[in-house]
Amino acid sequence: MPDPISNLRILPSQSGTSSTVAPREWGFMETLRGAMDQSKELQGTAEAKVAGLLDGSGMDVHTAMIAVEQADLSFQLMMQVRNKIVAAYQEISRMQF
Amino acid sequence: MSMIDDPAITALTRFLDVNVFRSELVMSNMANIDTPGYRTRDINFSQEMQRAGGNLEYASFSPVARSVRGLMERPDGNNVSLERESLLLADTQLSFNLGVQLLRDEFKGILSAINSGSGGSGS
Amino acid sequence: MNLFGMLAVSGSALTAERQRAEVVTSNMANMETTRTPEGGPYRRQLVVFRSRRMPQFPALLAGFGNVSARGVRVDQVIADARPPLQRYQPGHPDADAKGYVSYPAVDPVEETADLLGAVRAYELNASAVQSTKTMIQQSLDLLR
Repeated sequence: MPDPISNLRILPSQSGTSSTVAPREWGFMETLRGAMDQSKELQGTAEAKVAGLLDGSGMDVHTAMIAVEQADLSFQLMMQVRNKIVAAYQEISRMQF
Repeated sequence: MSMIDDPAITALTRFLDVNVFRSELVMSNMANIDTPGYRTRDINFSQEMQRAGGNLEYASFSPVARSVRGLMERPDGNNVSLERESLLLADTQLSFNLGVQLLRDEFKGILSAINSGSGGSGS
Repeated sequence: MNLFGMLAVSGSALTAERQRAEVVTSNMANMETTRTPEGGPYRRQLVVFRSRRMPQFPALLAGFGNVSARGVRVDQVIADARPPLQRYQPGHPDADAKGYVSYPAVDPVEETADLLGAVRAYELNASAVQSTKTMIQQSLDLLR
């Protein structure tokens, strides 16, 4: 994944053309998307493993629990990334130029 | 963002897998303590952990159960020792619990890293 | 390969040892039985154990290979080939022409030892069940 910091551009300097600027991926957005993708993937894995546990097909309890925990952690991570992005936007919008 | 699947978690998961497999062998031995001709089976624990090596994909976990040597044999060919299996089961269970606790610590650490600084940016 | 499957393995042993104990107590209860519907004295019985593969689990998500767990079952209940004990009791209704009565070849010491063996094995596998339960609970502890 490309380094999110290097992709960061300061929008205000292009504000004159903001109405016609093509949508642009912020570095922050890439990070968030990555977190969302991972969260979704781990969630799917956890669901599959828990299903394997519950239908008696031989899944180890600990393997399923680890997958659930990892899915939960990645969800927490995603939420934190989102919170940080929101906070950063608010911080930027308060800046006076 | 691989901190959620870091090498410690993978290694500890493998540790638990090996412990579970070993306890399965022990319990199979216990079930067959009176079966004529049955031979005690076990794994080489450190070998199984080492065999994981760099590749810790779950699909590659194929542990090898081997016949245990040096056990006393009864007239019907059965060599399962009640004492050996009892001790080994208790030992394996403790080992499993150790792995569980270490994993919990690992998860706690990750969660703490995720949430660190969330109280700092007061805005 | 999972802990629930191991409950089935331990359970199979509990069943088999219980059946063994039942045969032993039947032997002991019939030590003096000189007549049976089949004719002749009670014949001492014994169980033959055999290890068995537990039912395979379909499509193991973790991708493990063959399940190597082995349970046990009573393969056969057979009659002991030992000849009956002869006791000289001319007045007994089951006495033969020479005055001997045939009794089951059941040795109480042997049967008691067998019963104790069944009890020990039963306890051993019952403790295995406890262990399995504990490990399952510990696994659930992984969730904060």
